[in-house]
Amino acid sequence: MEALQFWLDGLRVATTPTNLLFALIGSLLGTVIGVLPGIGPAAGTAILIPLTFKLDPIPAIIMLSAIYYGAMYGGTITSVLVNVPGEATSVITCLDGYQMAKRGRAGAALGISAIGSFIGGTVATVALMVVALPLASLALTFGPPEVFALLVVGLSLATSLAGRSMLAALLMMCFGLLLALVGMDPVRGAPRFSFGFAALYDGVGFIPVAMGLYGIGEILLSVERPYQEIIRTKLSSLLPTREEWRRSVGPIGRGTVLGFFLGLIPGVGAVIPTFVAYILEKRVSKHPERFGTGAIEGVAAPETANNAYATGAMVPLLALGIPGSPTLAVLMGAFTINGITPGPLLFREHPDLVWGVIASFYVGNIFLIILNLPLVGLWAKLLEVPYQYLYAGVLLFCIVGAYSTRQSIFDVGLMMLFGVLGYVFRKLDWPLAPAVLALILGPMLEQTLRTSLEMSGGDLGIFVTRPITAAFLILAAVILAGSAMRAMPLRKLA
Amino acid sequence: MTRQAWRIASATFVLVALAALIESLRYGFLDRLGPGPGFFPTCISVVMGALAVALLWQGGRPEGAPDDADGAVPRGDEAWRVLRVMVGLLAALVLLGPLGFRLTMLLFLLYLPLSLGARSVWAISVLALAGSFGVFHVFYYWLRVPLPVGAFGI
Repeated sequence: MEALQFWLDGLRVATTPTNLLFALIGSLLGTVIGVLPGIGPAAGTAILIPLTFKLDPIPAIIMLSAIYYGAMYGGTITSVLVNVPGEATSVITCLDGYQMAKRGRAGAALGISAIGSFIGGTVATVALMVVALPLASLALTFGPPEVFALLVVGLSLATSLAGRSMLAALLMMCFGLLLALVGMDPVRGAPRFSFGFAALYDGVGFIPVAMGLYGIGEILLSVERPYQEIIRTKLSSLLPTREEWRRSVGPIGRGTVLGFFLGLIPGVGAVIPTFVAYILEKRVSKHPERFGTGAIEGVAAPETANNAYATGAMVPLLALGIPGSPTLAVLMGAFTINGITPGPLLFREHPDLVWGVIASFYVGNIFLIILNLPLVGLWAKLLEVPYQYLYAGVLLFCIVGAYSTRQSIFDVGLMMLFGVLGYVFRKLDWPLAPAVLALILGPMLEQTLRTSLEMSGGDLGIFVTRPITAAFLILAAVILAGSAMRAMPLRKLA
Repeated sequence: MTRQAWRIASATFVLVALAALIESLRYGFLDRLGPGPGFFPTCISVVMGALAVALLWQGGRPEGAPDDADGAVPRGDEAWRVLRVMVGLLAALVLLGPLGFRLTMLLFLLYLPLSLGARSVWAISVLALAGSFGVFHVFYYWLRVPLPVGAFGI
């Protein structure tokens, strides 16, 4: 009941004309980002952060959240219509979505995708309301050792699920932690790793790093082999037939549950729920041979799971302050820029904001379904923009974003440096997510570690004598051990 | 090719970890209150160095790292396109202070599409003007986000 009351208050916040407008703008911009190949949701969200600088925190966060889930839907459109996934989560949708389009059922594929996304997103928002508040209350009882152990779990998950070399993922995590150490020591206030550069006293800015690694890095990679040839399909009725509806009910239900629960686990990432949902449907289907030939279940399940995941992943971010994916890490950076620290205290200190944002998810989902179906043709037209102009425009916004965060040309240079690094790491197939998550969680990790050791007088036993801490650390060890075992047969993958 | 690139990258990280370790040791590992400012950096540097060495060793084994033929290193036109973007970005960085946002972005947005093969003068001009003077106006005057103004007051 408490959550319901908070949600009603949040709904009042979310439905003010200003906040509705920013949810609408965010949904539209997010869809555009999702549609455009070469610009992922993390890069898109980072690039658009400067647009929110002069906004109040509530509309700013509502808009950025809308960009986040709008991008999740946008990628579907091009997957179905032109067999080009707008972002990684839509890759699996190409398999059956494009086949449906070739058989003249593009409208039905997009329709069921929008409806599944709406249902998945909306049901997951209800679940978020139920889960987030108790989880935040529980997290408030945590001391520094528990928080440290929880962060270790989050980082180990992010590391274990990213890329094909666990060593490379761990190395990237250390790289991110090292970057997080640049600037003032959070406990004693002494400068570290600044090498006499005054610009580094405040640390390495998250936005230049994220924009560089994701924005510039993606553009450099895309410009190597830009999209040129687009195979067109016709768009007919957007409504599925009665038979297609019947076949989609189960996948939508299962996709919702699966997506939401995978979203609760930090580090899973947005791609895995879509693949798991697809595989699950293929397993439970009486006609698995249909998959890959235009089965509507193969569109409904991953698209639903994708949006349910997007909402579910907000739970660890809002309740614990742990971003579960690079896009959410960027979103967390946006919270911080707006003077808000995600985590258990958020529900106590900024209830209007957090419940306003949660309520805005409903509004955003409604916007997405109302706007996207009629505008599908327009979104597909975006692909006709030649890449030379598109990439130049994206780079322009990267420069604006990197500069305007701290009005520093040094940050622009930093972004470009990390852009080149991001490009190189992608070429090496070394995952970026552990570095980005470690950069954002690093200061908290160090602070809680050192405070814990001060509490215990330097005795490391504090991490094994407290039950919750020990349980978290055992969980992290199990996750890493499991990943290491999975990584052993690398020769088979290579 | 990728395997070779892995080895180079791993070796670079070994050096980075070593440099970080040397720097960390200057900060004090422990102090009277407990772990000092150098405690966490030292731990991270050591772990990072160990991981980089392990990766270097793994990359040296035939089965240790992938050896994708579809190259880590771009060639031909691919490489030129990447290089042109990098040159454009570097030039923009160097010019941003002295020329200011508007002129720098005007030049950048004229150069980049042209260097990537765009040929529509009309489209390039519109993009360059909108992306330089237009974006400046929106951010500077409407959103009150200060963007750099150059030596010519532009």
